[in-house]
Order: sequence, then C-alpha cells, then structure tokens
Amino acid sequence: MASKPEIVLNGSGVSAGVVLGQALKLDSHNRLVLKIRVDDIEAEADRYHRAVEAAKEQMQNLKSRLEEMVGSEHSIILDAHLLILEDRTLNAEILAIIRKSHANAEWAVMQATDRLVHAYQSLDDEYFRERHSDIEQVAERILLNLSGDHPLSWEHLPDDLIIASIDFNPSNFATMDLQKVRGLVLESGGRTSHTAIISRGLRLPAVMGIRDLLASVSTGDALLLDGDEGQVIVNPTKQRIESMRQRMEAFGSTAESTVAPSSWKTTTKDGTAVSLRANTEVPSELGTAKACGAEGIGLFRSEFLYFSHPNGFPGMEEQFAAYRTLAKGMNPHPVAVRTLDAGSEKVWDKTDLAGRENPSMGLRGIRLSLQSKDVFCTQIEAILRASCEGRIEIVLPMISSIEEIWQAKALIAQVREKILKKPGLNLKPVPLGAMIEVPAAVLSLEALAREVDFLCVGTNDLIQYTLAVDRGNPDVAYLFQPLHPAVLQCLHRIAEIAGKLDKPVRICGEISSNPFFAVLLLGMGFTQLSMNPLSIPQIRRVLREVPLKACRQIAGQVLTSSTAYEVHKYLTETVSKLIGWDLGSYANEIAPPPK
Amino acid sequence: MIRQSVLISNKLGLHARAAAKLVRLASRFSSEIHLSREDANQQIDSKSILGVLMLAASKGTRLVISIEGQDELEAVEAICGLFENKFGEES
Repeated sequence: MASKPEIVLNGSGVSAGVVLGQALKLDSHNRLVLKIRVDDIEAEADRYHRAVEAAKEQMQNLKSRLEEMVGSEHSIILDAHLLILEDRTLNAEILAIIRKSHANAEWAVMQATDRLVHAYQSLDDEYFRERHSDIEQVAERILLNLSGDHPLSWEHLPDDLIIASIDFNPSNFATMDLQKVRGLVLESGGRTSHTAIISRGLRLPAVMGIRDLLASVSTGDALLLDGDEGQVIVNPTKQRIESMRQRMEAFGSTAESTVAPSSWKTTTKDGTAVSLRANTEVPSELGTAKACGAEGIGLFRSEFLYFSHPNGFPGMEEQFAAYRTLAKGMNPHPVAVRTLDAGSEKVWDKTDLAGRENPSMGLRGIRLSLQSKDVFCTQIEAILRASCEGRIEIVLPMISSIEEIWQAKALIAQVREKILKKPGLNLKPVPLGAMIEVPAAVLSLEALAREVDFLCVGTNDLIQYTLAVDRGNPDVAYLFQPLHPAVLQCLHRIAEIAGKLDKPVRICGEISSNPFFAVLLLGMGFTQLSMNPLSIPQIRRVLREVPLKACRQIAGQVLTSSTAYEVHKYLTETVSKLIGWDLGSYANEIAPPPK
Repeated sequence: MIRQSVLISNKLGLHARAAAKLVRLASRFSSEIHLSREDANQQIDSKSILGVLMLAASKGTRLVISIEGQDELEAVEAICGLFENKFGEES
C-alpha cells in the first residue's frame, strides 16, 4: 500500500510535549465508535433489533407523557422520530452493514446515519436540511440503548492512542483508560478550557483549535503531536519523525507521570504524603473525581439532591441510592457527606430564608436542620444505611457552638437505634465531622474538636464571616481577600489545635485548588485538601515540586506579614521560584485589590 | 402498475407531519409505492419517512406516484385523496 501523504495541521498548543501515536477519532458526542469484527452476525443483528425496540418503547412513553402535558399537536416531532426508528430503508441498510462487513451494530448505525445526515445537509430547503438533526437524535438513542448491554472495552485497544475529536468533555477523562492515551487533538477549545487545564495537569500533550481536523484524520492514522508548537502532523514521513525524535525522547523521559493518575500518590518533594480529595455536588461527578485521582470525596454538598427534587424533599430511599453510589464508587476511599446546608445565597423556597434581611447569618446549615428534625433525620438515616457500602462520613455545616454538635449527635444516635431495630440491617461506624467556617468555631475550636472525629474548614464562608464581607454584594466584594492576615491567622490556629489534639483536618474550600495557596496550607500543617476534582492533577504536580520544609518556611514568613499585599508578593514570588513553571493566572486569583 | 401525478398544494409542503401521515397510510397497503419528483429521477420508498423527507417537496412541487401490487387501486385512491385534502391540515 502506498503511504498516505503527510499533512501538517496547525492549532494552539495548550499542553506541552511531543508524542507519536495513532489517531482514535471520537464522534460528535465524544463517543468512541470503533469498528469491531463480530463473528456471530445474527446475534449482532438481534442486538440491534433489541436496541431499536427499547428505543421505540422509550419514544412511545415520552410521546404519551408529552401528549398528556401539551396535547397531541406538539408530539409530532416524536412521531417523526418513531417513524425514523421504524424506517425500513434505514433498518435494511444497517442490517446489511452488520451482515456484509461483520461489523458491530454501533458501527453500522453510525455508518448508515452519517451517510443520511450528509445527504440531508446538502438539501437547499432549510426546513428539510434541518431534519438531519432528527436523524442524529434517533441514532443517538439507538446507540445509547446499544451501549447499555455492551460497553466498549478499552482492553483491546493499542496503548499509543491520540484522541482526535471536535470537542472533549472533561468528564470523558474518567471513561478513558489514560494509560493508553498519549495525547489529545481537538477542533475546538483553547488554553483556558477545562479540558486544556486538565491536560496540563495530566501532562498529556494537547493541541486544540485545529480547523478541519476530523476531515483530515482517520482512526489509525499516525499522528505526530507537537504540543509546544501547536502542530499536528498526520502520517509524518520518516525524516519528519527523525527530526523530532530528540524532543520526543526529552519529553518521554520526564513523562512517567502521564500514566493513570489514580495510581499516583501525592507527596511533596521530600516525601510527605498529602491527601487530595474532591468536592462534588452530584453523584455523576464521581467518575471525574476518580479519573483525576481523588483519594476520596472530601465534601459532598448534598444540597443538590434537594434543589433538584420536584418538591424539595428527596425521600430516604432516593437519598440512600445517591449516597450508596458515592460510597461504593469511591471505596476504599472515604466520602464525606455534608448535611443539608440550605440558606444564605442558596435560596430554598421551602423556608423563608430568602425573605430575611441577612440570610447568611440566619437560619441555615445545622441551625435549620435542628429546627426541621424530620428532614435532618431522613438524611441521616440514608447516610447511615449507606455506611455498609463503603466508607462514609457525616459533616455538619455552620457549627458555631458545642450544643449544636450535642443535639445533632443525639439525633444521629436515635436514628441509628431506629435502624438497628429493623432485622437484617447492619451499620458501620460513621465518623462525624464539623465544618469550621464561623469565627466562633475557630475561637472555641478546642472544645468543639473534642466532640467530633474530624474537622473540615469551609474557607469561603470562613473568609466571609471573618472579614464581614458579603461576596455577593458588589460594593464590598473587593474586600473578600483570601490572603488577609486575619484569615491566615484563623487557618494557622485551626492547624495548630488540630495538630495538638491529633484530629484529622481538611481544607474543603476551592481556595485549596490555587497552587500558591495550596503550598501555604501545606506549610501551615494541612495535609488533606479537598477541591474541584479537575484541579487535583495540577495541584498534585505542584506539590511534588516543593519540599515540605520550604512550605513551612513560607508559611512562617507569611504569618508575620501585616498586609495581604505583602503576603501576595512574597508567596507568589517564592513559590514560582520553587516550581519553575509559569502559574501566571493563579497569582491573580488570590491577588488583593489594586491599591 | 399505476402511475399518477399529484401536486402538493398545502402551505407547508411534505414536512414532517404530512410525511408521517403519508408513510403511515402507505404502510397499510401491501403494494410497493414509490414517489419521485417530477423534476428529478430518484425514486423513494413512500413507506420510509427518511425517503419522503429527502424529497424536500415544498408547496407547488409535482410528484409522481408509482404503485404496484394487489391493492394498488385502493392505494392510489387513498394516497391521492390525502394529497387532495391537503393532509387534513387546511380545511
């Protein structure tokens, strides 16, 4: 076979490194659709039929629901979709592809519908041209039903893949076997996209914003990806590969960390272990958390379960299902569920919080829970019952006095007793933690800490209450300064007391995803940081470059400063020198307002 | 084998709703029922919605229906009737 011509494509290099690999194209829904040879074509045809039948049933249900809601006049589009599912020409074509080329049903569906979509896209009339989206939606539904019983396995794929796609959803990192992926090339995206940020964190070379990428690349093509120059060479010549070899090897020798992040341990340069965990809001973020190598869910904000519920109060079973998913999925790592923290900026229409003048100082967090005991106990029951499925923990929000912990503990004990009365149910011990986010809790920390198993610091609220600054108020938002000496003194005090009492303590605010702040926290003595899962790979890389001793020196120096400006200047300069790569925008993130 | 020319006279043409009606009606007959635009050669299966929509037939388009099979007489009557009463959309 004659070798294919070399094509040079330009885009923007968003993650450095030079790698050679073979292209694996994802479709427009980020799905990996590969042609797989099937031996039993009749079984495959059957699988296709089952998927279509399932899709029909779903469409029919959707249609009836819609008709009940708005009348049959509006269900016409679903009617058309149903007819597409039944379309005998389309079905015959798909089955012919399966039988003739021994292809998997997914591939056959994509082939047949792609052809139709292109045919429709070339129509002159706008209305009829737009019907291509109906075909895509139907294909999507069939593929969804196919994937249910036959998830595509990465097992048989080669280990030098370069993913080529239009765009790439960050959560896809979770579904890929990262040990087999060497790089990422996309038509869309740029330096500041989430995907670019993670790629850099994972040290996965990436080029984005490449026009006509998918038109020029087929799955299996050799790709030479140059993340430094923002170039992708399709089917590179031997000479080209030779000319890049030195740079490839240079990258390869430093790239041992591009392998599966879940196997990484986070340690400082001098070997101190640091636990990086994920803050999440919905159970579906679990995959992202795992892909980014989170050693647990440090904070599950359970509010979402309530806000997304039709009447605002998810039942015990519903919550149990969510917590169980988390506990099981994260096992053996722990999952900390923060009990309902409604209030403040989060308007929950079941309470009158929104009507009060100062909601962030009003009935919220544990205060609300202790007044709506039924709601609280339902949640506790769901959490306790999920304890058998993994390692689950409870965190109480907005604690400002020891009595609140006592009352909550009494309620938890009651619920536990009630569950244990039922035969056949088993419970594991569930550690209890308190959110430290109110200055009163910082000041009375010794007493509070003795009552709980661990502490979580909610930095956002702590900053807001310590500085008496409402972040949502544009007149004073500039005063919200994470590096304010008062905030740093609070954090220092928390670290000291927790250390003295030997209580595990975890920073659960987004501030820990700032590399400069993370170094500072480490220096103060915090070795558990919980953050947006997407930030974990980056923070892991940063911490590996800094010795704990240096972090301590930095923290010691910073704690003697009297202004946020001083702190900012010293912190960003010193840390930048230590790590040796540019962390530009992160310095602005924690910068005090201009003088 | 029957061939019959029809004019699309409803405002929206053979859009999704009209096409769905046509496909459902045609599917009731055992005869093979094909459609083509008078200004083009390509024949489509009128029992396939993707085929019918592909005609991109707007108001004023002339189509040729070819029907072959045991119930072709009933089929041609029913289908021409559907076109004539503008798919029941405009009374």
